[in-house]
Amino acid sequence: MFYVEVSGLTKRYDATTVFEDIQLGLKKGEFATLLGPSGCGKSTLLRCLAGLTAADHGQIRVEGQDITHLAPQKRGIGMVFQSYALFPNMTVAENIAFGLKMQRRQPEEMVRRVTEAIRLVELSNKEHHYPHELSGGQRQRVALARALVVEPRILLLDEPLSALDARIRRSLREEIRDIQSRLGLTTVFVTHDQEEALTLSDRIFVMNQGRIVQEGSAETVYTQPATEFVARFMGSYNLLAPAEAKRLLGLELKGHLAIRPESIHLSEPGHSYPAHLGVPLTATIRQHQLLGNIIRYHVEAQGTTLLIDHLNRSADDLLPSGAQIALLIDRQQMREVH
Amino acid sequence: MRADRYHHLVVTLLILLLAVPIVATLLYSLAQRWEATILPEGITLSWYWQLWQDSRFLTAFGHSLLVCVGTLLLSTIIIVPAVFVVFYRFPSLDRWMNILILLPFAMPPVVASVGLLQLFAGGPLPLVGTPWILVGCYFTIALPFMYRSLANSLQALNVRDLMDAAYLLGASTPRAFLNVILPNLRKGLMASLFLSFSFLLGEFVFANILVGSRYETLQVYLYSMRATSGHFTSAVVTSYFLFTLVLTWFATRFGRQD
Amino acid sequence: MKTTLSSPLSVPVGVTTARAPRLRYWRAALLLTPMFAMLLLFCLAPMGWVVIHSLQSDDGLTLGHFKEILGSPFYLQAFDNSLRISLYSSVIGLLVTLAGAASLRRVESRLKNAVVAFINMTSNLSGVPLAFAFIIIVGTNGALTLLFRQWGWLDDFHLYSRSGLILLYTYFQLPLGLLLLYPALDALDDHWQEAASLLGANHWAYWRHVGLPVLAPALLGTFILLFANAMGAYATAFALTAGNFNLVTVRIASLVSGNVYLEPNMAAALSVLLVALLALVTAMNQWLLKRSYHAR
Repeated sequence: MFYVEVSGLTKRYDATTVFEDIQLGLKKGEFATLLGPSGCGKSTLLRCLAGLTAADHGQIRVEGQDITHLAPQKRGIGMVFQSYALFPNMTVAENIAFGLKMQRRQPEEMVRRVTEAIRLVELSNKEHHYPHELSGGQRQRVALARALVVEPRILLLDEPLSALDARIRRSLREEIRDIQSRLGLTTVFVTHDQEEALTLSDRIFVMNQGRIVQEGSAETVYTQPATEFVARFMGSYNLLAPAEAKRLLGLELKGHLAIRPESIHLSEPGHSYPAHLGVPLTATIRQHQLLGNIIRYHVEAQGTTLLIDHLNRSADDLLPSGAQIALLIDRQQMREVH
Repeated sequence: MRADRYHHLVVTLLILLLAVPIVATLLYSLAQRWEATILPEGITLSWYWQLWQDSRFLTAFGHSLLVCVGTLLLSTIIIVPAVFVVFYRFPSLDRWMNILILLPFAMPPVVASVGLLQLFAGGPLPLVGTPWILVGCYFTIALPFMYRSLANSLQALNVRDLMDAAYLLGASTPRAFLNVILPNLRKGLMASLFLSFSFLLGEFVFANILVGSRYETLQVYLYSMRATSGHFTSAVVTSYFLFTLVLTWFATRFGRQD
Repeated sequence: MKTTLSSPLSVPVGVTTARAPRLRYWRAALLLTPMFAMLLLFCLAPMGWVVIHSLQSDDGLTLGHFKEILGSPFYLQAFDNSLRISLYSSVIGLLVTLAGAASLRRVESRLKNAVVAFINMTSNLSGVPLAFAFIIIVGTNGALTLLFRQWGWLDDFHLYSRSGLILLYTYFQLPLGLLLLYPALDALDDHWQEAASLLGANHWAYWRHVGLPVLAPALLGTFILLFANAMGAYATAFALTAGNFNLVTVRIASLVSGNVYLEPNMAAALSVLLVALLALVTAMNQWLLKRSYHAR
């Protein structure tokens, strides 16, 4: 039995289908991510969960209760928006107190819970500031506190980090994950950034063109892409068309062959690999990029360009352009995708 | 440096040009007599004393204030919810509204009066000669300023996300509008109200053609005083101008929001 | 309207989409009706009345009013006066405004803000008070008139003439023009002048080849607004000459509210011609705009 259960959810605007027949189940306390390119329907799906957009068909259940037609005010759902959506006329404390005020809580209780929420997001000296006096990261923390203070059943995060710069994004996402697991809060996170999804999520739902194309843990989705789309979207997979796979590796395939760059071994020319490990090839280095602890080589083997990620142990290891190399493609790590 | 001096000269000339009629009227209103001399002779406040004791002037001023304040109250009640509805529910309507609110501009008041005079002379709405027709006309004058000013404030707000956030925190639509949207429109609203106030106070054409002496406003009173002493009318003009000065000062104070 | 109502941006709360889209926001739409009703009553209805009655006489539909206007030297003189005064005052106003606004951008910001506030205030001096102010200064017995006459400077200036009206109109055009043009000058990047001078252009060459072409749309737009403002102006001229100077607006007003004899249908025909003239000028402006580099 899932805590949140979505079945057959469909949304159309006139002729265009935003998403269709969505099935989705979340366990209590789980951090789930809807991952997909912009326009795949993930944000609208989130808005349907919140009740801000009405779905055409299907059902949304929380703790067994059907909330499909419930007003957003009554769903017990907290949401953090990409634009923060802080009320500009209210201070930090007033923003956070708003939900409690709507619930007509006692003043003492309000003060206590607001103070607690402010401490939780580490903004204790900013409670009387207005949103425009805060930085982007601080604003998003206020938005998070505002959503959490009413103790929602589900927390929805709609690309909450994408308006922030890289450094703050990284620290804030750790903070969000930390608070979420401490409170044991069932959370749905929407993003188009696969790195964010991989670092944060218990479970990832990859969406494309209004459908969930793959569902699973971060490791599964990353190492075992179910489709060509997921392989392309998850990172710098080498994708070989059927003809290339036949030419290079002698494999008869219907779909593309997906090979992760870090699963290709690389050594000096003439090095012989044990045959059972995989397929050995010779290739030429064309160029390289330094990605910090990793060197990404672009190599050419029989007219096909492959990406190889190699651990950057020492500057002496760097192979120059034009160098001949031997490489081995790990048979275990090859996946046919459609 | 030469360029600097040139620009200062131009700006100074501009101020002088704009200030001459105002300063002259002020001096004239304070003068016993002013004939063929550079400066007036005999400073006095007697013209103001006379004016502010004139019950006809006070009545006309009261009429003007009543019509203007009434119009602006009505406009606020009608326009504020309407602009919000346009932005929140019918955003594509904004384009059409911008054309629609220009119509009162495209039609000079004299032209509008031609139709208004016939339409409201009798029939179901016999408004000609009453202050009510002025309230209607002044609404169309205030509408473009108020609509644009409120629309600008709303554009800066991200209305949809704010409303959604308020819903999720338990607020109803009217509640969200009153607590979250309206407080953020206050400055823009006040600025446009003071601006419209000073415009409406100076309105003469509708007041004179549609109502005239049957409900005499400040401008109509001023016009009817044209045959009296120039010093006296100067006192009227100066009083009026000082009043609008205060109004525009408020308008710019509220207008400096960002 | 149908497309607006089914806009995806605004799906209502707790309402299933089974309901017909056009009924979805009837309550929200209700809040718009007072505004539309007021516009209809006090703007569109009189406009419609004017158009219909300009074509009407006692014996039905006719173009007779327009024929009469175009054949009457008196009405044609009114148009001639209105056009000339509007044109001259707008052109002079625009030139003064352009020089003023360009210099205003170059003075220190405290002075600049004070001047803008001052211009805002002077924009209220129009209509009857403006006419009275000018009567006091340069009227028949105005302080300056008497002074200049005594000094022998002024012989043939009459405030109550066409040149007097041009002076008055120019005065009330100035604040409006400045307020419109001053923000538009921000379109000029200060670096352009520096770049032009490095390329060998002097001050005038910069304005001729860069400044004015960039500003052309703003200048045209401002001109149209000033011109339309002057064509439609009535209070200033009426207050100055008590309706004795022959302008289109003065003619229209006297045909509906004068004390001699009323001809509302004739007033309607004059009104239609006046508004048509303004529409024509605006259309020309649009056409010129399309030919400017901005459209390319």
